[in-house]
Amino acid sequence: MRVNYKIQDRFDFGLFIPMVFLLIISLFAVYSSTINHPIAGDNFYKHLIWIIFSLIIYFIIFILPRQAIRSSALWIYSISFFFLLLVLVIGDVVFGARSWIRYGEIGFQPAEIAKIGLILLLAYWMSKQKENISETLTILISLAIGFVPVLLILAQPDMGTAIVFVIITIAMLFWNGLDLFALFLILSPGVVAIASLFGWVALLVTLVLVAVGLIYFKKNIFLSVTIFIFNAIAGLAFEYFIRFLKPHQQIRIASFIDPYVDPTGAGYNIIQAKVAIGSGGIFGKGFMEGNQTQLRFIPQQWTDFIFSVVGEEFGFIGCMLILILFFIILWRLLKLASNAKDSFNSLVVLGVFIFIFCHFAINIGMNLGITPVIGLPLPFLSYGGSSLLSVIVLMGIVQNIYKNRLEQV
Amino acid sequence: MNDDFIKLLVRKRIIQIFVFLFFALIIYELIKIQIVENISYLAKSEQNSIKKMEQQAPRGVFYDRNFKLLVTNKPSFVAIITPTKYDSKFDSLLENKLQLDSGYIQKILSQSTTSRFLPIKIKKDIGYDFIAWYEENSDKLPGISYEIEIQRDYITELSGAHAFGYTKEITSKQLQDNKETYSYGDIVGSAGLEKYYEKELKGQKGISYILVDSKQRVIGKYADGKHDIPPVKGNDLVLSLDYNLQKVAEESLEGYRGGVVAIEPKTGEILVFASSPTFNLSQFAGSISPETWQTLLNDPKKPLFNRVSSANYSPGSSYKMVLALAGLEEKIITTSWTIGCGGGLLFGNKFFACTHAHGSVNVTRAIEGSCNTFFYQLMLKIGLANWAKYSRLLGFGSKTGIDFPEDNAGLIPDSNYYDKTYGEGKWRKGFLISLGIGQGECSVTILQLAQYAALLANYGETYKPHLVKGVIQNETQNYIPLKFKKIKVPISKNTFDIVRDGMYRVVHGNGTARSVLIPGITIAGKTGTVQNPHGANHAVFIAFAPYDDPKIAVAVLIENVGFGATYAAPIARRIIQEYLGLKEQNIELVDTTKVN
Repeated sequence: MRVNYKIQDRFDFGLFIPMVFLLIISLFAVYSSTINHPIAGDNFYKHLIWIIFSLIIYFIIFILPRQAIRSSALWIYSISFFFLLLVLVIGDVVFGARSWIRYGEIGFQPAEIAKIGLILLLAYWMSKQKENISETLTILISLAIGFVPVLLILAQPDMGTAIVFVIITIAMLFWNGLDLFALFLILSPGVVAIASLFGWVALLVTLVLVAVGLIYFKKNIFLSVTIFIFNAIAGLAFEYFIRFLKPHQQIRIASFIDPYVDPTGAGYNIIQAKVAIGSGGIFGKGFMEGNQTQLRFIPQQWTDFIFSVVGEEFGFIGCMLILILFFIILWRLLKLASNAKDSFNSLVVLGVFIFIFCHFAINIGMNLGITPVIGLPLPFLSYGGSSLLSVIVLMGIVQNIYKNRLEQV
Repeated sequence: MNDDFIKLLVRKRIIQIFVFLFFALIIYELIKIQIVENISYLAKSEQNSIKKMEQQAPRGVFYDRNFKLLVTNKPSFVAIITPTKYDSKFDSLLENKLQLDSGYIQKILSQSTTSRFLPIKIKKDIGYDFIAWYEENSDKLPGISYEIEIQRDYITELSGAHAFGYTKEITSKQLQDNKETYSYGDIVGSAGLEKYYEKELKGQKGISYILVDSKQRVIGKYADGKHDIPPVKGNDLVLSLDYNLQKVAEESLEGYRGGVVAIEPKTGEILVFASSPTFNLSQFAGSISPETWQTLLNDPKKPLFNRVSSANYSPGSSYKMVLALAGLEEKIITTSWTIGCGGGLLFGNKFFACTHAHGSVNVTRAIEGSCNTFFYQLMLKIGLANWAKYSRLLGFGSKTGIDFPEDNAGLIPDSNYYDKTYGEGKWRKGFLISLGIGQGECSVTILQLAQYAALLANYGETYKPHLVKGVIQNETQNYIPLKFKKIKVPISKNTFDIVRDGMYRVVHGNGTARSVLIPGITIAGKTGTVQNPHGANHAVFIAFAPYDDPKIAVAVLIENVGFGATYAAPIARRIIQEYLGLKEQNIELVDTTKVN
């Protein structure tokens, strides 16, 4: 242990400065897309207040004692679980999902707090089970921690957040040393199911890949055949399962494969966002000058489609700046996760990494039309109090871990 | 290096590769669309965008009780300017063509708070000559266009302003509260029936997908309108108002301040709902200009003020039946209880005057001759508690529950009220005496008086007063009658008979409103002349007819004119005469030139 800390040793500017830059870009983009809007006109000021508030919380978390994070894990998870139940009863419906709890002027989305609870509790549970990580029971309990809230979130229904929960859970299991075969077992049916959406050829190719994988793992023939049949059923049954989805969800899935299936409905946003970004060119059309943005072709553009505002008004340069800032943050997080001496810390940081990467990848992918529109905000950039607060809180937790990284448990 | 560490390194590599691949994919995609295909996307954004447009739904129309159309819709042209494309050198030309003041366009443009990419409305109700001129020269007039709006059309001679109410462009406050239903620029019911029945009337907005260029100019319909959802007209209202009757009432009120309400006692249906002075609803048909609005607001006669159900008045002598009912029903008095009226009552050291010396009167005669002395005495006898109880039973002191946004409860003071106002024990019985003749601190609305007349007419049974009988559903065109709550006042028929007899004598006996007499129609009524601090007395008259099987109950109140019998009663008479269909008979007592 060193006696004299420099500030850099206690506080990671590599995580903080890119975040601040992203928040500043976010202010420009929210301003441009809302300031002339008849009902969202004051969103800029609300956004500014949320940023300031979140940063205050960030520093409060930073100065908390080392044990505070670990000991709050179960609490945060339980409280958010309670709110996830409560929201199904008393929640407000916003854009088709019963996802908001409101008290007067103040409202929040319990699923956002639940993300923090999920990461902390998974890390807490897995780090305690270090010795028997690949035991079936440990894996099943970890999956339960992750998937029980997923059921509640699907009931809202909020597809995007549910997917994030699943990915975080699996990724943390993976990080904690889940063997490749188990991972293969968990992931392959999902991959096959999604592939089935792209037609018979894609389905057959993935099934062949599954078979190759099974041969690679060299398990006994009976188990391998069982797994293969299970995968085949998953692929074939998914199509059937989709028929039970609500019509708007079916259209969304169809639009993901071809946005022009429904250019006035679900595909509309994808097409408009892509046109906005593509028309931005290298340098963009200039702040407040993007006609797609200013004419409000994309509804609620300041939430999930904020990237298209930057793409149109600040062009390729603006987009690259955002990518670089995210890259720095993700790089630092991954490095911190792999260098952490304590497995709880390592898992938490990895959880935050996955959280940000998943939101980033799905959101930007959706803006560019390469992932389906599943309604996930872009961290640090999208307008929306609860989601902004939750990601900054997670960054605060990481900063706290950074501060204490050299101390042994 | 231990085994664990190698595994961690492998896992880190896998994740790194994944992240790298994804960034590469995004950068590839960005280069592809922003650099390589930039020109084609730029062209798409400039020329050919699908825009979702909302289409205004026509509001439901109003019919009167006999399905006569009262309020409907008409298309109207609105001149619009899109600032980003507009050149101010056209200002004077446009101002000239649209008959606007010089500098008006720049004023409107600079006041606008919406995006300068979006069109701004310059003038509503523009004429066909402008449209013709524009169509010929449109290519030389960048940034200028027009659009079609649906607006209210008031096709009859009725004003109906207070009853019908008006629509206005939605305010940002209303928009905040109803984000899911409305959007910016929507027209919503803001007063009267338009407001109360907004949900029925508003219909369903349509959606059309159009191709527009970057300056919002429409190029055409997207996919020939295949995806469009046409607007659905709102449901129509069938009002209980009677066109002819309302017209007679409005004409009779001209030049006065006051109001008239007529109710069908058996159903609670409101036949007349007129407040004067009134205003011209067509000023609101488009969106009202701030100047017109200010003029209406600042008019000393307060035409926007609804005197029928918002204004509070003392009821004056028309209130005497409340005391009579209370005294008789509570068995405090009978018809044989008489007092001697020598022209007033000395109570303590204060003299409460009567109109003249009535001599010996019982309750029937006291109503007939409107003897104040009798009711002063009766008030002291029944006490404040009974007075307040029967006032409430007869619908005073609380909202009527009418299907209308304005429904003033009025004030029926009780001992709690006096304790609060004057301090406990600091008010004396003398305070109450004036309540006995409907003066003092009690206040009522004209609507409440009409409901009271209906209750007297129909032996305490009626329905909540209402202006709308039913709704014609747009989809099915079925008429669906609305249901209203029944009112039943627990007062015996016998008690009502005595009081109604007094009211009958007011017109047919030796009463205060003999001038109302219409041969062939039996009318019961009661006059009132209300002292007030604003000048001359208010004239009040309530009545119902025919006496044996009442089909109409009326309440009239005219501000600051004088006697109820002189000013209010003739208006009630005209309405009753019109409604009971005896127009052909020549009535000699009253000037009837205006009636037909």
